[in-house]
Amino acid sequence: MTNFIEILIRGLMLGSVYALVGMGLTLVWGVVGIVNIAHGEFVMLGAYFAFWAFSLLHLNPLLSVVLSIPVFFFAGVMIHRRITERLVKEHELSALILTFGMSILIWNLAQFFWTNTFRSVSYLTGSFPFIGMVFAKSKTVSFGLALVITAALFLFLRYSKWGKAIRATSQNSEVALVCGINTMKMRMLTFGMGIGLAGAAGAIISLQWVIFPQMGGSYISKAFAIVVLGGLGNIQGALAGGLIIGILEAMVTQYLSAKMAQIIPSVTILIILLLRPTGLFKK
Amino acid sequence: MTKEPILRIEDVVKKFGEVVALDHCSFDIEPGSMTGLIGPNGAGKTTLFNLITGVLQPDGGHIYLKGEEITRKKPYEIARKGVGRTYQIIRIFPKMTLLENLIVVGKGRKVIERARDLLRLIKLEEKKDDYASDLSFGQQKLLSLAQVLMLDAHLILLDEPAAGINPTLQNELMVLIHQLNEGGKTIIVVEHDMNVILRHCQKVIALNYGQKIAEGSCSEIQKNETLLEHYFGR
Amino acid sequence: MKTLSLKKIPVSLGIAILMAFLISIPFFASDYWITLLVLIFIFTVYASGWNLFSGLTGYTNFGLAWFIGVSGYISSLLISDYGFFWLYAWPIGAILTSIASIGVGYILLRIKGVYFAISMVALTEGTRELFGTEYLAPITHGGQGVPFVAGIKLPTLYWAILLLAFLSLLICYKIISSKFGLRLLAIREDEQAAETLGIHTTRDKIIAFMISAFLVGLAGSIHFTYQNYIDPSFAFSIHLTLTPIVMTLFGGIGTVFGPFIGATLFTLIHEILWAELTLLYMAIFGGILMVLILFFPQGLLGWMKEKGVLPRIRKI
Repeated sequence: MTNFIEILIRGLMLGSVYALVGMGLTLVWGVVGIVNIAHGEFVMLGAYFAFWAFSLLHLNPLLSVVLSIPVFFFAGVMIHRRITERLVKEHELSALILTFGMSILIWNLAQFFWTNTFRSVSYLTGSFPFIGMVFAKSKTVSFGLALVITAALFLFLRYSKWGKAIRATSQNSEVALVCGINTMKMRMLTFGMGIGLAGAAGAIISLQWVIFPQMGGSYISKAFAIVVLGGLGNIQGALAGGLIIGILEAMVTQYLSAKMAQIIPSVTILIILLLRPTGLFKK
Repeated sequence: MTKEPILRIEDVVKKFGEVVALDHCSFDIEPGSMTGLIGPNGAGKTTLFNLITGVLQPDGGHIYLKGEEITRKKPYEIARKGVGRTYQIIRIFPKMTLLENLIVVGKGRKVIERARDLLRLIKLEEKKDDYASDLSFGQQKLLSLAQVLMLDAHLILLDEPAAGINPTLQNELMVLIHQLNEGGKTIIVVEHDMNVILRHCQKVIALNYGQKIAEGSCSEIQKNETLLEHYFGR
Repeated sequence: MKTLSLKKIPVSLGIAILMAFLISIPFFASDYWITLLVLIFIFTVYASGWNLFSGLTGYTNFGLAWFIGVSGYISSLLISDYGFFWLYAWPIGAILTSIASIGVGYILLRIKGVYFAISMVALTEGTRELFGTEYLAPITHGGQGVPFVAGIKLPTLYWAILLLAFLSLLICYKIISSKFGLRLLAIREDEQAAETLGIHTTRDKIIAFMISAFLVGLAGSIHFTYQNYIDPSFAFSIHLTLTPIVMTLFGGIGTVFGPFIGATLFTLIHEILWAELTLLYMAIFGGILMVLILFFPQGLLGWMKEKGVLPRIRKI
């Protein structure tokens, strides 16, 4: 029984980070209307950001996590302004291909400059016991960080002016447009937020796992599964979806094999799209 | 001796979540008639068209075409049985030429010839190789009507055919529709412009909040006080 | 108003001359050029197969690699483990894949837009992982792949893929200038309106999907025979899906020759870039993709049509 709870908690820890990635993707998808296939690459960049800050500047990785948010937010705003805004009115295939091209560009540049050598941030080592179970310090702190960021996100969406505008736009973009909310500025900010979440998730990931240029790939497929599970544009749904994916992964890895766990995102997507395409959760 | 109705709507119910779009609606349409369907926005008129053409499925009730039940049939099946409709917001195929817009609908032999004949009918033959998106709004309306004719439809549902076009074109369009009716086609027109309805239709059905609130000939409807109150305002 | 127009040159004569030239290649060209052309033709079929379905119906198929991988595996396993002759193994793989595609299409083609694209990716990724698992390894050899030799000489393989490429383009041409092709376009323009105008969209979509699966699958089988090797990560790689799409976009989506032109130019560019800038090649590829979408969405042929160099109308 203890074993099961341990796996559950492990799954939640895993899922909390996946949720950050998924929420970022669903935010951009639902509000801006763009499917950002390069989203995973920003997670990778966030991880490298924390790594280089730690190696070169000896910056505390926890600080990097915090810093990554404004840095990546700004990057996201710039990218949207210059590049993705042009595709907002186009056929969705265009956005898919563009962001795919961006994804290839980014991870190959990363590979060129930083090589394929695995990197890691050894900052939090060791573990601590908790009710008879043992958890790695890095994973626990990561979990905490992810929760804090998620809470901040929800507070922002609930109480701030921009947050309310975002929620309005994701619920009914036409009405929002008429109310003057759904403007380019709004889209830029939302895109920035999405990328900011990805970067932060990446920084958190650097605390726990090895980093390499192609790592974005596995995060994007999980992110898609999360968006589909939670319902397009549904932030709370993405949070729940992220936790679910995390728990499923932990369980399948434990009871079947790590290889079988790789199939989870694909199977999830197919099942949900066929049986309940709007996602598991109501808005 | 009454002829069998070409269309029978029987106790039809349609809900969207909590909202009842059609509430036990029933009426018959005689073959060869031209009926006006009126009612305020949201009364359920377009939903009714969607149900008849199979785009949506009713939650209750039945729909019969020439005696045959079509309630659960697919849109393409119903269209092939001779039901054509135009949309409130025009839906032609923008990046296909006018000729192609018609050819694609046609079945059987001599499709290209029939398409050209129809283009001649709507006076757009010189534009046959232009993209449909290059047409003016009114011309697109004519094209979508031609598509319905290409289908060889016996029952034609027109969703606000006269809306948004200048009076001359409006007139041309209504004359054409009238000719079709005289040629034996059954027509149901959704319109907000009462003049159009009164001038061209033999019968009027009024809907409000998904219910049929009145049905009768034009003169009967004109005199109906409750109807006027419902329709023209509080 | 440009007077230069390619309408004047009889197209069939041009094609006949080109084909005669291509057929004679193995008699005088070196292996390097023959293999380059083999790759061009393989990708021509991939691209035109993708174009046939996605370019016309507007359903973005992001799972082209599924056709390639499934047919590739069936054919390669038949050759390597069951001793089949390649002439039979290839079509069997393609036919089985196209039959499977009826089921896949029937289920997944109800899903619209971006979700369809995603579901095809999910299908491909899932199948890739599945083929790599321990559970299926007895049949698929798992993740380690299958090296094999099919007993076919390079010129023969070349002629086979040349024939397939020619047939693919011919089929595309026939379809695009037929009423069936118009119906597929109508599906792209407005599927619901098409349905209410009597078009059996489900049937037409699935037929196009099946034809695409057959052609692409067959090319896939030939591809892996050429490589003398197949493994899950390559057979179902997203690269095999994306490259033909980019080629089609470059050449002109929805046109007959667009995929061929795109495949030729891209393969040549690939050769040059690979030789000069091996490490940055992929990054540049990504960059080119972005530039294409942002500035030349209609591709080369589309751009030429707009400039009046090519006729813009289909002939039915």
